[in-house]
Amino acid sequence: MTFLALTPIQAALLALTTTAIIIAFYFLKLRHRRVFISSSILWRRVLDERQSHSLWEKLRRIISIVVTTAIALLIAMSLARPEIESLTGKNERVVIVLDTSPTMNTQTSDGETRWQHAVKRAKSLLDSGGPTTEFRVLDTAGVTASAFTTDRNEARKLIDTMSPKSADPQFPKVDGISQVYFVSDGVAIHNTPSFVKRISVFETANNVGITAFEIRSMPSTPLGYEAYLEVQNFGPPTEAGITLSAAGGQRINKTVRLGTEETYKDVFDLSQFAGGGIRATVQAKDDALPLDDVAFAYLPIKRKTRTLLVTRGNRYLETVLKLDNYVDLSVTDPANYRESANIDAYIFDKFAPVAPPSRPALIFGTPNAVWLKPASGEIQKPEITTWSEDHPIMQFVAVHDVAIERAARIDAQNLTVVVASKQTPLIVVSEKPKWVMLTFDLESSDFAFHVGFPIFIENVLAWFNRDQLALKRSPGIIDVPLGNAQIHTIDGKTVASEQQLGRTVFVANEPGLYDGTQGDTRVHLAVNLANPTFSDVNRSVFKTDRAAAAQQYWLRRELWFYMLLAAVMLIGLEWFTYHRRITL
Amino acid sequence: MSTANVTLFDDEFLKKLEYLNIISKRLFAGRLRAERRTRKRGTGLEFADYRAYVAGDDFRHLDWKAYLRLNRLILKLFEEEEDLPIYFFVDSSQSMNYGDPSKLDYARRVCAALCYIGLANLDRVNVISFAGGVKSEMPPQRGKGRIFKIFRFLTDVTSGGETNARASFKTYCTETRRRGLAVVISDMFDGNGFESALDILRHFRHDIFVIHIASHEEINPRLKGELQLVDSESNISREITITPSLLTAYRAEFAKYCDSIESYCGKYQLGYVRTATDFPFEELVLKVFRQGRFLK
Repeated sequence: MTFLALTPIQAALLALTTTAIIIAFYFLKLRHRRVFISSSILWRRVLDERQSHSLWEKLRRIISIVVTTAIALLIAMSLARPEIESLTGKNERVVIVLDTSPTMNTQTSDGETRWQHAVKRAKSLLDSGGPTTEFRVLDTAGVTASAFTTDRNEARKLIDTMSPKSADPQFPKVDGISQVYFVSDGVAIHNTPSFVKRISVFETANNVGITAFEIRSMPSTPLGYEAYLEVQNFGPPTEAGITLSAAGGQRINKTVRLGTEETYKDVFDLSQFAGGGIRATVQAKDDALPLDDVAFAYLPIKRKTRTLLVTRGNRYLETVLKLDNYVDLSVTDPANYRESANIDAYIFDKFAPVAPPSRPALIFGTPNAVWLKPASGEIQKPEITTWSEDHPIMQFVAVHDVAIERAARIDAQNLTVVVASKQTPLIVVSEKPKWVMLTFDLESSDFAFHVGFPIFIENVLAWFNRDQLALKRSPGIIDVPLGNAQIHTIDGKTVASEQQLGRTVFVANEPGLYDGTQGDTRVHLAVNLANPTFSDVNRSVFKTDRAAAAQQYWLRRELWFYMLLAAVMLIGLEWFTYHRRITL
Repeated sequence: MSTANVTLFDDEFLKKLEYLNIISKRLFAGRLRAERRTRKRGTGLEFADYRAYVAGDDFRHLDWKAYLRLNRLILKLFEEEEDLPIYFFVDSSQSMNYGDPSKLDYARRVCAALCYIGLANLDRVNVISFAGGVKSEMPPQRGKGRIFKIFRFLTDVTSGGETNARASFKTYCTETRRRGLAVVISDMFDGNGFESALDILRHFRHDIFVIHIASHEEINPRLKGELQLVDSESNISREITITPSLLTAYRAEFAKYCDSIESYCGKYQLGYVRTATDFPFEELVLKVFRQGRFLK
């Protein structure tokens, strides 16, 4: 017998002290009430007869002491949390790691999923071990991490709340002191520490899944978009039906024959599609993982941008804007500039109004205006050293060879520098109010002659107020680059979200199309699994370890529970017998 | 003397005694003559027999008419009239000072009542208080007027000491040889056994009547819990735990004890009456009369 709460010496001292106290108390003379009787003749006869004839009379005092001492010892020793390894098992810590990777949604031959099998195995692990065994439940998505507990029901409830996540799985950090069991299909996570006992729920399954789906603009065609789709077969050869559908009713159907591990890649022209959400689906016989059978994208809605060019005359700009089919251009002189409600965007050429316009503006040169950064000097022939290819206005735009004669020196504090030389920012962006400023004018550079210039203008106008392509995200925790944004599903349902460092975060465990809106700003989010790693549901690398089966014990709780139970029963028995004067 | 004793024999009590006296006369009409004739021939008025005159006889009792008829001296014999000695042995051991009212008070009342009736019948009444020995005794009294003397004597009787009836009776009887009615009023708690004590009285040919007094607490004790029982006579204590079974055993033992006394009395044709202190004493006196032994 060992004790969890006390050392053996402390436990022995506790037992001795308790016994001594009880016996001392027992032998303390109970002050009997003195009662005078006329004669003790009859009482003496009765008592002598009873004492001389009853062995119980002689024993009951001893029995009372023994019972009372046993009750006290049971209570006292239960505080020491004793355990007997043969009855309750040894005190150990067990960590159950449940694989919550997307492949755990794969259906098995019995109609259940790998996840349901994993839950059963995890619960059977909870049934094993002794009553002192402490359990901790973790997942590979980093969402669930319980503390160690002996409360199996609590652990069971926690497991019931868990489900596979589409986020990238990672094996959690666990120490080697605990017994670690990893219940997984062995597909998404291959490498586990050597001390981890693996329990496999893997079973081969057929799966055809979408491994890539996106809508991308065609640089050659303003506001022209195409859809790129990859479908891969991870099972035996099969036929797969591919469908692209839009909310407006447009649809593309295609049937392809796919061999084992064969990937079908195709680009679909979406010129016939109205803007909005595009859904791609793939159907195949006996498909075991529905999660990768659907993917979403957003096709920007095409409409002309009403643009007012305010210039004293700029042939390059006017030409570029007039050639753009999606620009409804108006040109005016700075002297005649008036802000209009019918304008979507302004382009100021070496001019800036006194007050900032209510609509976004593209500004060339560094005109003097209170709402703009004032020029603090001039830089001759600045060389472009850095530019941000990730910014939407720089998509497909190469500026490394743009020659600039001179540019204004400005302080870019609180602005986003998109293109810069060592001496000064060259293109800066203000998010609020929304404007883009080039610190050089077109006449003092050859930017207008570059092939990227029309694309740059198109990107700027698109960034100002045109529909954007959806941001691509994987299922799990979705990060939206907007603060205080409202998140909605494609059906218009609001999704709970949180604010983190000026960004909005929400959870999307299933593929889908989401909208994030904050004031006039709106972003689309296409959440797709689209990952060959998850779609390849047969790529398991491990089987159940032999040592993974845990021993079961007869007692389901710690010994102290049974000791207290016994103490309560003895107290009840003692109470019953005492009040009937069976015991003292 | 306890405060209760002051009012032990009050006017109310005297009225009850008179009432008992009248009732007893009605109950035993024709037999309640004061005189008790004995076989002894003496100087009484009632003619008993004749016998031949012998020298020395009192010639005043010669039947001269018979001498004239028969020419023989014949002596007329008359029955000797004799009063009945009644000995009231009142147990005044410490055990009698128990109960509410105490057994001693009850015994005094019963004794007083019986004494009054005895005195009214011109019997010679003796009252003896005993415990370990004869504690006090009252000289023989006769006539109703002596009742107050008896009251005083009974009032002065105090409880104390251990009971030893055998020694007490033996002492008294060896000093007083005259046979009579011995009325023993006691709780019968004697460590030496009451049978041997009654044997002494039987040995001296007394007519014996036992009035066994028990208090309600003795008959049906209402004890509970952990107790130290202290014997009021010996002061010997004993710690016990009262259980229902123990109380049942005690009651059985008490009944057995009473039965043993009663069977002893029955065996030797002794009068026996058992009473509790909550039983009206006048009822008890009548019960005694109904037994027919007290008055002859």
